[in-house]
Amino acid sequence: MDLLTTSVATVESGSEPYTLVELVGEADVTNSDALREVLDAEVAKQPRTLIIDLSRLRFMDSSALHVILRANRAMDRQGGVVALASPRDPVAKMLRLTAADQLIPVYPSVEDASAG
Amino acid sequence: MQPSRGLPPPASANDPVFHTYRSDLSQVRALVLRHARQAGLTEGRANDLVLAVSEAAANTLRHTPSAGILAIWHDEDEVVCEIRDEGTITDPQVGRRKPPPGASGGHGLWLVRQVCDLVELTSDANGTTIRMHMALRPPGAAR
Repeated sequence: MDLLTTSVATVESGSEPYTLVELVGEADVTNSDALREVLDAEVAKQPRTLIIDLSRLRFMDSSALHVILRANRAMDRQGGVVALASPRDPVAKMLRLTAADQLIPVYPSVEDASAG
Repeated sequence: MQPSRGLPPPASANDPVFHTYRSDLSQVRALVLRHARQAGLTEGRANDLVLAVSEAAANTLRHTPSAGILAIWHDEDEVVCEIRDEGTITDPQVGRRKPPPGASGGHGLWLVRQVCDLVELTSDANGTTIRMHMALRPPGAAR
């Protein structure tokens, strides 16, 4: 089994659809290029909102964080928003220590994230 | 390559566990987590140590073409993880300053220094050794 698997969905919710990317497993320097490809492809479709579901991500290192920050910058430039949903404790702490949670909103659930 | 070129582990420590890694950091993290739990670190601090060691080992993959060596040992006071590789760090202040929010690099060793109780870093042309210490009974902790 791959260390990190990603799945992408477009969710029709209320007024506006959003893109949901779920990360499952462990995201680190060994798979950050693959993660970048996935996020780049979704950002290129110019969604209004890109939600990254972290609920099943057991581990994230700074390489993966940089990929997410990069996607956030690109979305910001095109007028979109990235949101992170339900990080587990170790991932939440890492987002806090790097102050990434001050740049990208973190929500307790995908539902909360989609409600903005 | 000697796993530890600097100070040897203290005599009171148990025998170090050694692990050579080239690409599989998941294995490195699992080993650190298992050992940290066995030594008695709380779950939160065990995960902190896992993050620190993973970041240090990620630098081996990023900056050197060769394998790195992880050593773990503990005594009654602390758990220590050591990452040694053939890379050279020229900036002695590396990781001491918080990268600006959104910076696209430089978080690795900064995180290492944030989550560990003590970090020793030695580096020269022969390689780099990073020792990450976690106290088993942190000062001020009730447990």
